[in-house]
Amino acid sequence: MAAGEILLSVSDLWQKLGDAQILQGLSFDVRDRVRPDVVTGQVVGMLGPSGVGKTRLLRLIAGLDDPDRGTVRGPGGATLPVGSVGLVFQSYPLLAHRTVLDNLIVAGEANGLSSSVARTKALALLERFRMSERARYFPAQLSGGQRQRVAIAQQLVAQKTFLLMDEPFSGLDPSALEDVTKLIVEVANMDELNTVVLVTHDIRSALLISDTLFMLGRDRDASGKVVSGAHIQKTYDLVDMGLAWRPDLDLDPSFPTIEREVKQAFKAL
Amino acid sequence: MAASTSQPVPKAGQENSNRSLLGRVFLPNQVLQRPFLLMVTAFWAAIALVLWSASPWASLPGPGEVLRAFGSLWWQQGMGPELFSTLKLICHATILTVAISMVLSYASIIAFFRPLVEAISKLRFLGLTGLVFPFTLLTGGGYSLKVWLLTFGMSTFFVTAMAQAVLEIPREQYDYMRVLGASEGRIFWEVVVRGTLDKALDTLRQNLAMGWAMITMVEGISRAEGGVGALILNQNKHFHLAEVYAVLIAILVLGLLLDYLMAVSVRILCPHVLLQRVRR
Repeated sequence: MAAGEILLSVSDLWQKLGDAQILQGLSFDVRDRVRPDVVTGQVVGMLGPSGVGKTRLLRLIAGLDDPDRGTVRGPGGATLPVGSVGLVFQSYPLLAHRTVLDNLIVAGEANGLSSSVARTKALALLERFRMSERARYFPAQLSGGQRQRVAIAQQLVAQKTFLLMDEPFSGLDPSALEDVTKLIVEVANMDELNTVVLVTHDIRSALLISDTLFMLGRDRDASGKVVSGAHIQKTYDLVDMGLAWRPDLDLDPSFPTIEREVKQAFKAL
Repeated sequence: MAASTSQPVPKAGQENSNRSLLGRVFLPNQVLQRPFLLMVTAFWAAIALVLWSASPWASLPGPGEVLRAFGSLWWQQGMGPELFSTLKLICHATILTVAISMVLSYASIIAFFRPLVEAISKLRFLGLTGLVFPFTLLTGGGYSLKVWLLTFGMSTFFVTAMAQAVLEIPREQYDYMRVLGASEGRIFWEVVVRGTLDKALDTLRQNLAMGWAMITMVEGISRAEGGVGALILNQNKHFHLAEVYAVLIAILVLGLLLDYLMAVSVRILCPHVLLQRVRR
């Protein structure tokens, strides 16, 4: 696949919830980011205020809901049937009656892997996510951070290009937050085409790991009054700005400035 | 300025651990260790026994009298086979109840069957007594009548509770499995069947108790096949109060044993459930 090719195309998406028009003609593309000699996946941050339709958007991309109008396409314009796009829900649901290992095996079997292959992949993922010693635990025995790691690992048992994450940074302490941001970058960089879309309020974390930031905001009329619908109001190409793929970005003297700018833009959404 | 005090300030949690056991027994939401729980239970059992022994009511025979009556019933009046007969009846009815109720409850996820499940659930308001005649016509009476009356009585409540448990499965659970790529059949198995197994066992436990409570009435309808229900009604007719209480206690003990076995089944089949429960 050529550099800059479209991996995910959301085009003219409309969605109503009851009588309220949530999304109105929402469009954006995610393109393949290429770095010479480095496997580089995509991390896309989607910032927006509460109730703007971020979770709705994730459900549409994951194929859980059908849009009233518009399309969601994958590489080469392919449709994305439900199950082909991973989604880590905000509450990290897991099968409560199964152990951590079995939760991962179920995910593999659900995607057509044999039990033995699913088990091998599950064990490798638990090792990679530093969860091997919790393999026999039930979800009720895990902390919030551990639950999140299992929920992410579960989505990776079967190879999926897209991983959507709903508020992955909420409720995490600083140490867990650092772990999760590292994990997301690691997941994205497992494959050149891997694309992680994060929906979040956490501007700082999104800035630190994303290569693209979309600002999803409510539509306004000429007088500035909020009207129904939402669309991408601003896009930050952090690669062009020289801010992407930098582990020490928060130490850069220019970081507070860009963070402040994004915060200002967020307030206007 | 407030005067300083030499009293040390207790740290969080220290106050609780410093409380005496006796104090904690009387406080709300305290978690006690098993030996202390057993002591509290033994205390109440002793109180009940003392009250029973000291009872001034002639209609309540003393423990010794009831014990003697139990011996007489067991050795001379064939109480053992009667209990076996009752157990056979309740087991038969329970198997039918589980089979019918589970199929109906799980069918409630299909829109076509929902009105049927709703209707069967509503039948729980019908009294069993009024249904004896139509059930006699349908089953031909005797053992079949008792089995189907019990099955009907238990199933209507079982279906109500289980259909509700299935209805209360959060939408997110289905969506989460769909996102994983699971087929609808796998989702049904993992989310609906396995995901509610603990609730099914708990519901069965409650329904078994209800069936056990209905047993005397049902066995009284057709006494030819015996059973403890028939036994208790016969003793009642002759006003043998000590024997009546002996049978009641036997029913209670056997019921508690069944209940315990059900609790053990939940522990074995659904160990994850225990992790979410706090024994207070």
